[in-house]
Amino acid sequence: MSSNPLPANSSRLGGCTLTGAISVTSHVRDTVTVVHGPKGCSHHNVSLLHASWLEDDRAVLPELLSSGLSEKDVIFGGEEALRRTIGVAATKEGVRAVLVLSTCVVGSIGDDVTSVCSEEYGVPVVPISSAGFLGGTFQDGMNNALVALAGTASPCDTNRSVNIIGEMNLEYEVEENYREVERLLALLNLPVNIRFVHNTGWEELSRLGAAELNILRGPALVPVGEYLKERFDTPFIASFPQGLSGTLSFVREVAAFFGIDGQAALREECRRQEEMLDQFSDLRRVPVSLERVHSGEDELLAAEELAAALDLVMGTPGTCAKLPVNAAVGTSGTKRMLHRWRRAVHA
Amino acid sequence: MKQIALYGKGGIGKSTTSANLSSALSHRDLSVLQIGCDPKRDSTRMLMQGRFIPTVMDLVRTRGEAGVSLSDVVFTGYNGIRCVEAGGPEPGVGCAGRGIIATFQLLEKFGALEGDVIVYDVLGDVVCGGFAMPMREGYAQEIYLVTSGELMSLYAANNICKAVQRLASRVKSKCRLGGVICNAKGQPREEDLVTEFARRVNSTMIQYIPRDHIVQQAEVNQKTVIEFAPDSAQAGHYRSLAGRIMDNSSLTIPSPLEIDELESLAREFI
Repeated sequence: MSSNPLPANSSRLGGCTLTGAISVTSHVRDTVTVVHGPKGCSHHNVSLLHASWLEDDRAVLPELLSSGLSEKDVIFGGEEALRRTIGVAATKEGVRAVLVLSTCVVGSIGDDVTSVCSEEYGVPVVPISSAGFLGGTFQDGMNNALVALAGTASPCDTNRSVNIIGEMNLEYEVEENYREVERLLALLNLPVNIRFVHNTGWEELSRLGAAELNILRGPALVPVGEYLKERFDTPFIASFPQGLSGTLSFVREVAAFFGIDGQAALREECRRQEEMLDQFSDLRRVPVSLERVHSGEDELLAAEELAAALDLVMGTPGTCAKLPVNAAVGTSGTKRMLHRWRRAVHA
Repeated sequence: MKQIALYGKGGIGKSTTSANLSSALSHRDLSVLQIGCDPKRDSTRMLMQGRFIPTVMDLVRTRGEAGVSLSDVVFTGYNGIRCVEAGGPEPGVGCAGRGIIATFQLLEKFGALEGDVIVYDVLGDVVCGGFAMPMREGYAQEIYLVTSGELMSLYAANNICKAVQRLASRVKSKCRLGGVICNAKGQPREEDLVTEFARRVNSTMIQYIPRDHIVQQAEVNQKTVIEFAPDSAQAGHYRSLAGRIMDNSSLTIPSPLEIDELESLAREFI
């Protein structure tokens, strides 16, 4: 994930803060997300989540409720509408908590969302700042939501396990990427404590402090990692592994952290990577160019390393196959990228 | 139809001046509409025998926009003057500026903005786009600044000049500064100071209104000076203001002063 704010490199740095926050809160089961703003702010996001969840074979609608602000609420203040909506959300069957997101409009008129949330509703109500006009991005919305949710958990006894922090829930390969990290951890006999958050139950969040290590989805989540470190004393690794050597060094780093002998795991993973490269030997010495679309430095480096491992020849763009560069999480993610490359070469 | 707006520092006497001006205009056989554009809603009280009339925003809040009609928001007060109060949210919540915009849209829809003269009496400072609404295209084309010779009051007046200047620069904008009304506090050389201030911002002092206890006397009797003491000298000043405004053809784009210019001007007249 790039920290370069140029639009060409940084789609996640341009999006709506509210959508970033919703991508997190909608993945906490047994909760309702209240979007305090005009109804359009929710509608647009429900459509987006519904479509992306269908890709993931989840045929349910996200639990989103809008306070449905009108011009009248803007003039006289929207706090009453918020109070009413939280009340409705809190009494829905099976709801353990209400997560409240703010929008541009309520940020502009200065509704005191935090104080309305601190009233008594029978279940915990968590305010999350997500008014986009303040200059925040999709990523800030995600981070704010994760930090607010982390604030509901208390430090607890730890066990030898790992948390997965800040999965990109709208990413097409979110599940595959998680499975790959889980597989790599299993090579070291390390279980996942909780996914913070991806289809995670409200009660599970209380176990957030039980892991001994946090693995962030990407470096843009470092502020969240720092917060968790301060609150639970849990150190973090800043990114999912990228590419061939990135995957090996990830295994090495995690093994060293837990004081495990990782040699067997590393040998196993090396063998897997060699086998994979053999399967793609038809690509050897083909002239290609790498096409970078919304990919960060790490992803480019991983792609260049992979191209070198296959002896690909860098040709003049326009005269040879254009290979897409995308996030290649672990060995499996690298393999999926190789399949795309093969399609590009044989197209 | 003549549409004018009075702006100036809070507490400087805009509402008193507006109500007396409307009264004086009504005696020239003109059909007058006064619109209070301040959530405090006390602009038209002296025209309504001390009554706080329901505001447009109160009615919208309790009945919804569909339940409000023209006759609910316009009240006839002293000498046939039609009175409207925009109103707004409770202090500290919501957005009063948006309330002003909504009020204007509703009055427009009702066709309420008619007559010979409309007097807009606006909140102390142009704090946001909503309170510049009366200056926008289609509404007041003449802005009058109400100020005393006190520095804080001149400072506010100068700030409003900035708003008028900005709005005047817009395409098709007809918003202009009509003049400066000196509502005196009774400090020495006050008239000279305000006259000079008006000249420096590219305008004129259109009327000097001296400080007079009769204003307070009229107010405790819940009347304008025009109604309470029509033969007083003070009533004469308000009638003079009404006449000058009706005859005024000197509308300008103001040139606001820098803050040190303003302060050195005030020092010259100490």
